[in-house]
Amino acid sequence: MTRLCRLLPVLVVALMPLSAAAQDGASKLQEAAVPAVMTKAVDEVIRPGYRRFHETATGLTGAMKALCATPSADALAKARAGFASAVAAWSEIEIVRVGPALEENRFERILFFPDRKGLALKQVQATIAGKDEKDTTPEGIAGKSVAVQGLSALEYVLYGSGAETLEGAADGFRCRFGAAVAGNVDAVAATLSADWEKKGGIADQWKTPGPDNEQFRNGREAIQALLGILVHGVETVRDQRLEAFYKGKDKPVRPKSAIYWRAGLTFPSITANLKGIKALFVASGMEQVLDPADRAIAADIVALLSSLGETAPTVDADVAKAVADPKDQEKLDALLRGTRELLVRLNDGYGGAIGLAAGFSFADGD
Amino acid sequence: MANPLIDRRRFVQAAGIAFLAGLSPRALHALERADAVFASAFRAKDGSYGVATVTERGEIVSRSPLPARAHGMAACPATAKAVAFARRPGTFAMVLDLAGGADPVVIAAPDGRHYFGHGCFSPDGRWLYASENDFDANRGVIGLYDARENFARIGEYEAFGIGTHDLSVSDDGAMLIAANGGIETHPDFGRTKLNLDRMEPSLALIDARDAALPAPQPAPERWGRLPPRHIALDAAGQIWFACQYEGPRNDRPPLVGRFSKGEPLAFLDLPEETVRTLGNYVGAIAVNRRLGLVGVTSPVGGAAVTIDAASGRVIESRNRPDAAGIAAAPEGFAVSSYDGRMQETQSDVAWDQHILRLSGHG
Repeated sequence: MTRLCRLLPVLVVALMPLSAAAQDGASKLQEAAVPAVMTKAVDEVIRPGYRRFHETATGLTGAMKALCATPSADALAKARAGFASAVAAWSEIEIVRVGPALEENRFERILFFPDRKGLALKQVQATIAGKDEKDTTPEGIAGKSVAVQGLSALEYVLYGSGAETLEGAADGFRCRFGAAVAGNVDAVAATLSADWEKKGGIADQWKTPGPDNEQFRNGREAIQALLGILVHGVETVRDQRLEAFYKGKDKPVRPKSAIYWRAGLTFPSITANLKGIKALFVASGMEQVLDPADRAIAADIVALLSSLGETAPTVDADVAKAVADPKDQEKLDALLRGTRELLVRLNDGYGGAIGLAAGFSFADGD
Repeated sequence: MANPLIDRRRFVQAAGIAFLAGLSPRALHALERADAVFASAFRAKDGSYGVATVTERGEIVSRSPLPARAHGMAACPATAKAVAFARRPGTFAMVLDLAGGADPVVIAAPDGRHYFGHGCFSPDGRWLYASENDFDANRGVIGLYDARENFARIGEYEAFGIGTHDLSVSDDGAMLIAANGGIETHPDFGRTKLNLDRMEPSLALIDARDAALPAPQPAPERWGRLPPRHIALDAAGQIWFACQYEGPRNDRPPLVGRFSKGEPLAFLDLPEETVRTLGNYVGAIAVNRRLGLVGVTSPVGGAAVTIDAASGRVIESRNRPDAAGIAAAPEGFAVSSYDGRMQETQSDVAWDQHILRLSGHG
C-alpha cells in the first residue's frame, strides 16, 4: 500500500453523513448500560494506564541511575529507551485531564507543555550550569519550578546540547539532575496510580453514579464526563500537539515548538495520545450506551481513530524535515482534517445520539 | 492604540479568512428592529455560529454570522448597537448595528489577551467594557473601548481577580462589578481549569472613573470552590450573583446571593430541592425589575427557577432540559435552551448560554 492510500480512510469516513438520530437528537442514552461502561473505563483503561506509566517511570529512574553510575553509550541508549517508554505510557493516559491529575499541579509537574516562552529550556540550562547539589534529589526537584520537574526537562538532559557528556565521567551533575527529575516523575506517577487504586476513592465513585455520588449524580453526567475526556483529548492533539508546529500548507511552521522534538518522539507521542483515546472509547464499550440503531456512529469514530493512528507514526520523526516534505505535509493535513472530523463525530454524532444537545460542552463552566 | 477597524492583521487573526470571504455587509445589517426584543448567540445546524435577534415569543427576526462561538452580549443604552463577545478563549467581539445603518465592527483582543465572554456599556453608551484574560500574568482585566472611536481599545482596568467572567455597571455608571470566578485558564490549555484545588473567587467593585477598588469585598468563608460567575442588578441597586460549584456533586452549596455596596454578601437560603434541581450550577441570572423577580437557569439540572427579590423565596421551579439563557419578559422571564427553544418557539439553532434584553420590560 502506498503511503497516500493509507490516508484515504480518513477522507472516506469524513464523507459519510451523520445518522438521522444524531441529527434530530431523538435517541436517548441507554442509562442502564452506563455503570458497566464506567467500570470498564476505570478498570480496563484508566487504572492500568496509570499503573503502566508508574512502571515505566520507575524503569526510567533505574536506567538513569545506572547511566550515572556506569556511563556508556549502551547505558545512555537504555536511558533514552526508558524515556521513550515513559513518554509513550504517559501520552496514552495524559488524555485523562480530570481528577487526581489536575490536583496539586501534578499534570504540569509531569509535562510542562506547551511552553511558549521556553521556560523549561532556560531553567534547565540554568540548573545544569548552577550545579547545586539540592537539585540532584527528587525531593529537591519537587520544590523547584514545574518547568524543570518533568518530561520536558529530562528530554533536554538526555537529548539537548551537552547530552554527549552523559557517556563520560561517572556521577556527573547533569546525569544526577536527570535521575532526580526521573525520580520526581516516578513519585508523581505513584501518587496518581495510588489515587486511582484507593478503595472508596475516585475509581469507585466513577463506577457508581447516583444521587449521593461526589462525582456524578446520574449516568448521563458520567457518560458526559467520559465523552468530555475524548473530546478534550482530540482537541489537544489537534490544537496543542499538531497545530503547535503545523497549521496547514503555506502557513508558517514551527518545528521546534513540537512536543518532544529533540527526542524524535513527537509522532510516537501523538500516536500514543490517539491510542489512549481509542482505548477509552473501545475498551470501555462506549457504544453500549447508544441506541442499537445508532451504533454506526461508534463504528465511524473507531474507523477515524484507526486511520489517524495509522497515519501519525508514518510521519518523519524529524519534525523539521516533516513540515518541509510534501508527502509528510499531506499526512499532517490528513491528521488535521481527521481530528476535526472526529470532533464533529464525538460532539454531534455520539453526543447527539445520547441526547446531549449539539455542542454539549456548553455547560462546561461559563 | 491601533484602530481595530483598520488593523486587518488582528482582524484576520480573530475572525479567520474563511469568515471574511463569506461576509456580506448588506446581509449583516439588514436587521429588522421592529419586533426584536431579545438577542442571543447561537450555533446553527451546520455548525456555524451567529447572533440572532428574537421576538417576545421567541421567533427569530434576523441572523448575523459570527466567525466562531460567542457567549454573552451587551446592548448600548444610547444607540441601537449590540455587542457579542467570543466565548473564552476567543479573541473577537462583534458590534452590530441593530438599526441597520452601519456595518458591523469586529473588535480583536490585543496580543496577550482573550475575551472571557462578557461585557457591558456605560449608561451613556460612550464606553464598552469587556472582561478579558491577561493570560501570561494570570489576571483578569477589563478592556476599555471607546464607542465614539469605532471601539478603539484605549486601555484596561485591573479586575482584581482571576477568571473574570460576567461584568456589569451600576445604573449611574460610577461602579463596575466584576465576577471573578477565581479559576485559572490559559489558551494553551484550551478550556481546562488549571487550579480547581486552589481557587480564589471574588466579586470586585471597581470605580469606573479611576479604576480603583473602592472597598475590598470581604469573601465569605463559603466561597471556596463556589465561584460567582454571573451577576444582575435590581432596581434598588442590589447586586445579585449566581455561582457554579466545583466541589463534590453530592454537596448542596448555596448558589445565589445578593449584596449592596458596603454591605456583606448574603446567600439565599434556597430549599435543598431547588439546589438539587439546579445541579449545583447556575448558568445565567436575570432580574425583572418591574415585577421584582430574579430568574436563574441551569443546563446541568435542566431547570429555570424564579425567586421573589424582596423575600428571597422561590416562587416557581420549572423543568427545562438544557436551559440556557434567561431575560426579563412581560410575564416574568424568557428562557432559552440548547436544543433551540425560546419561549413558545422551537428554532433550528442551539441557543448559547445568555439572552440579551434589547428593550421593554426589565
